[in-house]
Amino acid sequence: MNKKKSYSPALVSILIGVVLCGLVFGLLFLVRNTLKANDTGIVQMAQTIGRKIVDPYPINPDHIGAVLLSLLGAIMLVVGAALIISGIAKLFEAIAENERNMMSYVPGALMLLCGAVIAYGFAKALLLGVTRFSTEGMYVHLFIDAGILLIIAALLIGMGCSRLVRAQKYNRSVKIYGMPPADVNRSMGLKASNLISGIGIHTLLVIMSVVWLIPFVCIILQSFRVETAMPVGYVLPKTWGFGNYTGLLKTDFPKWYLNTFIMALVVAVLQTIIVLCMSYVLSRFRFKMRKPLMSFMLILGMFPGMLTMIILYRVLKDLGLTQANAVPGLILVYIASSGMGYYVSKGFFDTIPKSLDEAACMDGATKAQVLFRIILPLAKPIVIYTILTAFMAPWGDFVFARYISMNTSAGMNVAVGLNSWLSLDQINSHYTMFCAGGVVVAIPVTILFLCLQRYYVEGVTGGAVKG
Amino acid sequence: MASVKLTNVKKIYDKKVVAVHDFNLEIKDKEFVVFVGPSGCGKSTTLRMIAGLEDISEGTIEIDGEVVNDLQPKDRNIAMVFQNYALYPHMTVYDNIAFSLRLQKLPEDVIYNKVTNAAEILGITDYLMRKPRALSGGQRQRVAIGRAMVRDSKVFLMDEPLSNLDAKLRNQMRAEIILLRQKLDTTFVYVTHDQTEAMTLGDRIVIMKDGYIMQVGTPTQVFEMPENLFVAEFIGAPKMNIMRTNLRRNMNGNYCVTPFGSEIEVTGFKNEELKALNARDGEIILGVRPEHITLTENGGPNTIPVTLEVNEMMGSELHLHVYTEDGTRIIVRVPTVDLDPEKRCSLVSGKKLNITFTGKVMHFFDPKTERNILVKED
Amino acid sequence: MRKYSDVEYLKLSKSKRFLYRFLSFFAGIPGAVWGFIKKIGLAVKGGVSAVGNEFKDVFTTFKNGDWKTRLSYLIMGFGCLARGQILRGLLFLLFEIVFIIYMVVAGAHWLSLLPTLGTKGPSVEYNAVYDQYVTTYNDNSFKILLYGVLTIFFIIAFIYTWRVNVKQNRIAEGILKSGKKLKSGRDDLRSLVDDNFHKTLLALPLTGIIIFTVLPIVFMILVAFTNYDGSHDGYYNNLFTWVGLDNFNTMLSWEAAGGGQSYAATFGEILSWTLIWAFFATFSNYFLGMLVAMMINKKGVYLKKVWRTILVMTIAIPQFISLLYVSKMFAKNGIVNGALLDLNLITKPLPFWEKAGWARVMVILINIWIGIPYLMLIATGILMNIPADLYESAKIDGASGWQQYRKITLPYMLFVTGPYLLTSFTSNMNNFNVIYLLTGGAPTNSAASTAAGSVGYTDLLITWLFKITTGPEAQYYMASVVGIMVFVVVAVISLIVYNLLPSVKNEEDFQ
Repeated sequence: MNKKKSYSPALVSILIGVVLCGLVFGLLFLVRNTLKANDTGIVQMAQTIGRKIVDPYPINPDHIGAVLLSLLGAIMLVVGAALIISGIAKLFEAIAENERNMMSYVPGALMLLCGAVIAYGFAKALLLGVTRFSTEGMYVHLFIDAGILLIIAALLIGMGCSRLVRAQKYNRSVKIYGMPPADVNRSMGLKASNLISGIGIHTLLVIMSVVWLIPFVCIILQSFRVETAMPVGYVLPKTWGFGNYTGLLKTDFPKWYLNTFIMALVVAVLQTIIVLCMSYVLSRFRFKMRKPLMSFMLILGMFPGMLTMIILYRVLKDLGLTQANAVPGLILVYIASSGMGYYVSKGFFDTIPKSLDEAACMDGATKAQVLFRIILPLAKPIVIYTILTAFMAPWGDFVFARYISMNTSAGMNVAVGLNSWLSLDQINSHYTMFCAGGVVVAIPVTILFLCLQRYYVEGVTGGAVKG
Repeated sequence: MASVKLTNVKKIYDKKVVAVHDFNLEIKDKEFVVFVGPSGCGKSTTLRMIAGLEDISEGTIEIDGEVVNDLQPKDRNIAMVFQNYALYPHMTVYDNIAFSLRLQKLPEDVIYNKVTNAAEILGITDYLMRKPRALSGGQRQRVAIGRAMVRDSKVFLMDEPLSNLDAKLRNQMRAEIILLRQKLDTTFVYVTHDQTEAMTLGDRIVIMKDGYIMQVGTPTQVFEMPENLFVAEFIGAPKMNIMRTNLRRNMNGNYCVTPFGSEIEVTGFKNEELKALNARDGEIILGVRPEHITLTENGGPNTIPVTLEVNEMMGSELHLHVYTEDGTRIIVRVPTVDLDPEKRCSLVSGKKLNITFTGKVMHFFDPKTERNILVKED
Repeated sequence: MRKYSDVEYLKLSKSKRFLYRFLSFFAGIPGAVWGFIKKIGLAVKGGVSAVGNEFKDVFTTFKNGDWKTRLSYLIMGFGCLARGQILRGLLFLLFEIVFIIYMVVAGAHWLSLLPTLGTKGPSVEYNAVYDQYVTTYNDNSFKILLYGVLTIFFIIAFIYTWRVNVKQNRIAEGILKSGKKLKSGRDDLRSLVDDNFHKTLLALPLTGIIIFTVLPIVFMILVAFTNYDGSHDGYYNNLFTWVGLDNFNTMLSWEAAGGGQSYAATFGEILSWTLIWAFFATFSNYFLGMLVAMMINKKGVYLKKVWRTILVMTIAIPQFISLLYVSKMFAKNGIVNGALLDLNLITKPLPFWEKAGWARVMVILINIWIGIPYLMLIATGILMNIPADLYESAKIDGASGWQQYRKITLPYMLFVTGPYLLTSFTSNMNNFNVIYLLTGGAPTNSAASTAAGSVGYTDLLITWLFKITTGPEAQYYMASVVGIMVFVVVAVISLIVYNLLPSVKNEEDFQ
């Protein structure tokens, strides 16, 4: 006694979608035409209708676009209300049936969402009559709204199609086997749902990538701006040029760059050595003070690092390693306490089996030989990870570098130097150079990172998490 | 001369946990000694103490007459094969084997000769330039042995080397280790949890439990004269059948046991030994191996009536799992070669049978101390 | 309420079970607290008895030792030299000589001044020869404190070495008595690359840590008990001196300071925002990062590497560039406002950084932007390690995607990254860069600012610390107090969470 699933809901949904598409394209077409020819009967009609709808609000009849826009908004209202209502109905239906499968809530939720978006459109359409807008803005509005409607249409069509497919499968199964197909609870067919979720995910990923990269794209664009060095409200430069980059060479920027580069190199080497010593010992040797030492360093790490800044500055000052000589001073500060960052490397060393050490001991190696001949060749990923992180650190260190260089330009690193260009007195003349400087700093570091990305990932996932 | 002598060796962790109690053993030169026992019995710990990988809490270990307690592993002149082979992953097979020789700063041509010799003996000359990850389990096993071989050490230690291999490979490698032993001619100390390996490989077996030595003896000795209940049950597969029963003299003055209501006389030399011991009547733990139990046709004196539960077909023999009237389970091994086909078909679940055994296969254990009463304490 | 047995518990309905668990959690709290107190008590007792044992050992060694040992109590290293261990004996002796020289020449001087931190400040006198006022600088409170602390460290090191010296004698006597040989200098050197290799390797890093981390921290803790600030810098201006717990009283007092809000109120405000910020920053990044990782990891997603690389690239770019630029992007005349104005979506620029609520939300959002790639990496690594057969058996049992997530993925992730969450939380509490570079603490909280410099609504405790340090008054002592408070808060949270973490409790479940 199995009812045949009717095709009507699916067909209705597809129909609505197609009609919507048609309406949108039609209106867009109309807009294009009215802009070409100034006066047609349809335009007059649209004007009158538009005036009636948005009458309470003063609107300039010369703005044909405004009228059509309001029409579009009205349509959206109707569609939106329908979607909201049906969405709520579907949700209640699913809740009432205590649906376990999450997928059955999706159609209702989707409809609700679309309805809400459309309601926004309606609100905007109303407000348009009140607020002033420019010609360019109007077209952007138009396209945005049209786009939203098209997406909804596509969704409706898609859902309709999948329902169609499912109903067809259901009916066919009933006809042939006398029984409904096994997969009754899924609201969409397997392939179709994968496809849609795949599309959804990919869209999301694209949007995410755009969002993540926007600031950097903006920086690069702004670094090419030559018409003014002030921070402005638009992105694309009106005049393009390399002026900012050449200007960098005339300032102290090369000195800062050199400082940071030297610091990064020296720190990369020395810090790696110290961290590896520390983590190897803590991983491999069991001596009495081992656990107390680790707890002690844990507690030390709970103090804010900045606390030590003041006294280190005084001590370095007495040693003559501040201000203009900030570079050696900073190097000393960085590497001296770097032993505390043993955590990730230790986690990695813990994964190397101790029986290798024992076998080497039996073969006659001293502990030092074990380290250099057996363990280190196996620890290549973590060594590279440590070198990479140690190298990248001085490029971004801000607080310590600033405090120790104490306003002396010759001792600053790139972070402090570039930041000084953003101070109130310098920002209007140096903003674009800041962007250029940022690009110059970011590019080599990024390229290095991308090349060694594999090791970084291994280090983070292997060592950072095991511990 | 490469003898190993352990005197009163103890291993205590954290001042509380005693892993090895008072271990005393003398291993003669060129002897193959196997430490065997269940997990956690302390056999690996003892081996590692001999190797120098664990500190000795108390007692002394002498290798070749020299006390080695404070010597580093590399100074003790011993070689070890680890359970998971511990091959250096980033080196080729050749480099793995040559590693210890290079540390001794031997000239390269000497190293070459030694390594290729060992490779030939072990049959791995084709793999010398491969890295460990490109080898199978058995091949890695051989490389590990090769690495230990080239050191020409006095004592060869092996820590459960076959436990990572599948059953067929294990049998094969067992034979190869016996061959290797003949070629190498040094002292071997071998640790395993598998009693079959212990019995086939060892000149002498040391059975351990919870850090104590249960018995030291040749395979024959531990099989035929187990000193205590643990050894009796550990050695031999399937396990020896253990029955709690009573020992008493019967009317003829001979000893007999009374399991499950039946009376079975102790025949043979065991009777004489019991008489010599003047064993008292009373409770006794009786042990009889499955292969020593026979089926008889009829009931009567000296038999036990049982019911068949499960019949396992092993190929050349049947393992019959039977149970007595009070539910005790006994295993009987019956060779199939002389078995009447009719009789074999009748051996189905529920069939009533009678079993019997002679006196010379009985083992008697004191119920309280679990010691074999016929074995003298020394 | 009584404890249910397993069978009884299983009979209860879901709501009753929840109630039971809820009540038993609260019922267990007094027990847990008592257990914690007992643990502390045991630790203290252990410490005291250890110290007692040390003293006992010193006495018995003297009593039972031979004359070489006894002389070593006075002349360190004598015992070693007399027994043929030249290298060790010389090292001990050298250390003692250096120590004595130091104490005589400098140490005693600094120690004597430590209680007062100097008495004579800079004095201005009229010098008739040059016809002007000449300032002579006398005591230097900073140096006194610094070298005083160094001297105390040195004394502690000396006591420790002396103790080692005594122990060495006892062990050496024991070895000789049992007939064995003592280690020669050559043996010692050789053991440095073998048994004692760890000492060789640790020597340099630990020295660095002690001098550049431990010493400054001890120093700054002590500063919290002085009045060291810009106008009392200890040398050029006035000296500074001990003020005991005054600073802590000021910080925790509820009276109005500087005519506005009290310190305690300011501290409370900043502390609560710090905690809220740390909470949101950590958990939003964590869950969203996990979500992104799962999304990219799904079957059927193309170009997985591309998406990951794009996101991971943002880690490479130095934070100061991204943060500074983004903060300018959302400024009044920035790009975002400009674009929104152009699109006529708004008429006035949005007050992203001007209103407290907006600024706080923006900071959290931008932190998500910064933090997700890193979390995504970690989550990807962990997700790949979850054994696939867990999912397969769940699928066969009929679990949907969401159920699999809740029952398999989430518990596993939480277990593995539990400790990481804790460290992430505490490091977010001290996350200077994000807040300072984005807002500098703005918008300014005028009420709180009266208390201690310009305080803003997005200030964390640590940015407040920075502002106090670099502010016009440079109240270092206040900064130290804040620093100590931060430490206390972080330590307490870490302790509690660490003891509650499932990773600590159910370690066997996942192995």
